[in-house]
Amino acid sequence: MSRGAAVRALLLLAAAWAPAAQAHHAGLLPPLEFDPPPAGSYVLHRIMPAPEGRVLGLDGRPAALSTYTRGKLTLLGFIYTTCVDPEGCPLAYRVFDALQEAIVAAPALHDKVRFVTLSFDPARDTPQAMRAYAGSRAVEKGAGLRWYFLTTGSARELLPLVEGFGQDLRTTPGSAGGRARRELSHVLKVFLIDHAGDIREIYTSNFLHPQVVLNDIETLLAE
Amino acid sequence: MRNLSVAAALLAGAAFAVHADETCNSPYIAKLIKGQEDYVYVWTLGVEGLGDGSDKLVTVDVNPRSKRYGKVIHSASTGARVEAHHMGFTDDRRLIWAGGLADNRIWVFDIATDPAKPRIVQTISDLGERSGWLGPHTYYAMPGRMLVQALSNTQDKGGRTGMALYSNRGKFLASHAMPTDQGGDGYGYDLAVNPRKNVLLTSSFTGYANYMRPIGELMKDGEAMKKFGATMAVWDLKAMKPAQVFSVPGAPLEIRWSLNPKDNWAITAAALTSKLWLVKQEGKQWVAKEVGTIGDPAKIPLPVDISITRDGKGLWVNTFMDGKTRYFDLANPEAPKQTYEKVTGKQINMISQSWDGKRLYITSSLLANWDKGGADNEQFLRAFVWDGKALAQKFEVDFTKEKLGRAHHMKLGSRALRDEAKRQDEAKK
Repeated sequence: MSRGAAVRALLLLAAAWAPAAQAHHAGLLPPLEFDPPPAGSYVLHRIMPAPEGRVLGLDGRPAALSTYTRGKLTLLGFIYTTCVDPEGCPLAYRVFDALQEAIVAAPALHDKVRFVTLSFDPARDTPQAMRAYAGSRAVEKGAGLRWYFLTTGSARELLPLVEGFGQDLRTTPGSAGGRARRELSHVLKVFLIDHAGDIREIYTSNFLHPQVVLNDIETLLAE
Repeated sequence: MRNLSVAAALLAGAAFAVHADETCNSPYIAKLIKGQEDYVYVWTLGVEGLGDGSDKLVTVDVNPRSKRYGKVIHSASTGARVEAHHMGFTDDRRLIWAGGLADNRIWVFDIATDPAKPRIVQTISDLGERSGWLGPHTYYAMPGRMLVQALSNTQDKGGRTGMALYSNRGKFLASHAMPTDQGGDGYGYDLAVNPRKNVLLTSSFTGYANYMRPIGELMKDGEAMKKFGATMAVWDLKAMKPAQVFSVPGAPLEIRWSLNPKDNWAITAAALTSKLWLVKQEGKQWVAKEVGTIGDPAKIPLPVDISITRDGKGLWVNTFMDGKTRYFDLANPEAPKQTYEKVTGKQINMISQSWDGKRLYITSSLLANWDKGGADNEQFLRAFVWDGKALAQKFEVDFTKEKLGRAHHMKLGSRALRDEAKRQDEAKK
């Protein structure tokens, strides 16, 4: 079975794998409408360094973000736990899930990659809320692949990170329950960061696909 | 903090769809203006003896509810005159990159701090040194990066050229030459991406030696007139490698992908032959087809800019020489049908539309040495409304009377796109 076929099979597996507690993340990933170029046949430029800042892990302890963005390849995405847009956080979650399955199945990728999910929403997404959101995903399932769920202590700590990644975020007037509210919105971006902490690819929803990301991971590992 | 807390408690959480507001922008650009735009930014060529004589970014208030509707409210001058031509937003829509065809400098304007008052925050000047290209034309937002298509090169100032990739912070990353094999002619003009297909599509024009010459002189030079692009190329976007090259005679210019996710085609207009061309995926291959004629090609109406509707069902075409704005029904993109036309100026060039297609903006200038002379040398921004049947002019800014220069490329702006930190500071007050 080719690696591409293996990935497709894993995607179907991932789509089918949807524990009840995580049912909102289930669903088929959008099909990939092109044959990506082979890993190593292209260059991923050093776009910019990942920003530095203070984050909180699930245990509530502060740490430098660079603790989670250096030394391995890092796939980092921003989320907020109540995001329901199908092209937003849930899509990223499904892709991370599928990638996790693929990496576990590929010994050459073991101990080489980490995932980071960072909340946009420090007030609601406390470490405790992130722990509930992460569920069993925060537990290493072998293959040396850790999935870290991080938040920040305040908007003051969050905004420099958002800006440093070039991640769009804004609040807009809205309404809920008949009362005027402010809503949070963003365009999905997922960042592939190399061992040195440089951002090498930025995925948007229209090409965020496990097969593309796997090729990029292999391209960086071959450097 | 407070805003985020409130937001977090209640958020409806709708992430923006990845589309542009004015329909010709990069699909990676965030922040739709779904409603009424507040500003039109006009990248304006300086004219010697007019105002400060420099290229500048002019802000016009276009919100009908504003007391300043139809008025110039700001001008950010570069202090240079280098044939200002096109500009583009970064993907986060916080910056505009703009440049000129007679030079290699790129000015970066901050439009997030105060969208009404863009200000220059950076000047990038290493394009020629790093890539060898000259005359940056198209500024196309990629995630975290800007892909710049040039028209010429520093060596012979001919049409052989390429693209340069920069980070949003202005760091040069890579250079890519336009193909000269597979039938490629090495010329460049516009570029446009279809991310779902991993396809970059490029078109071709001519080099500095031609576009900087007076048009009358140029058209009498048979050898020079042979030096125009006649190709389009499909690239593997991820690999940034040309995959297919098509023969598209007559300088194919602006490229517009249908924004309908079900569509798999882009359209362009060839300036010198006045033809519409469709580039379409058939199976795994792409093909280029001549699908229509714009006006009477024998009269060289010179189609210069096109703007596609957000549903991919209609196309506006501006022709410079006869000053006509035409609408084509694209229900069948393989057989576009003109259904409307109106003379919108004695000379017209760029056309931009709001996302809902109800408002159109038109400017006048093509190139300093190609614009008409005397009374025909109108320089303006004109705003129109479109009711599906006819265009009705709402206002005009006379760029000569206002001592601004030659009005060229436009982008739309909104007060709602202010920097989030600034918005939060204001909320605290």
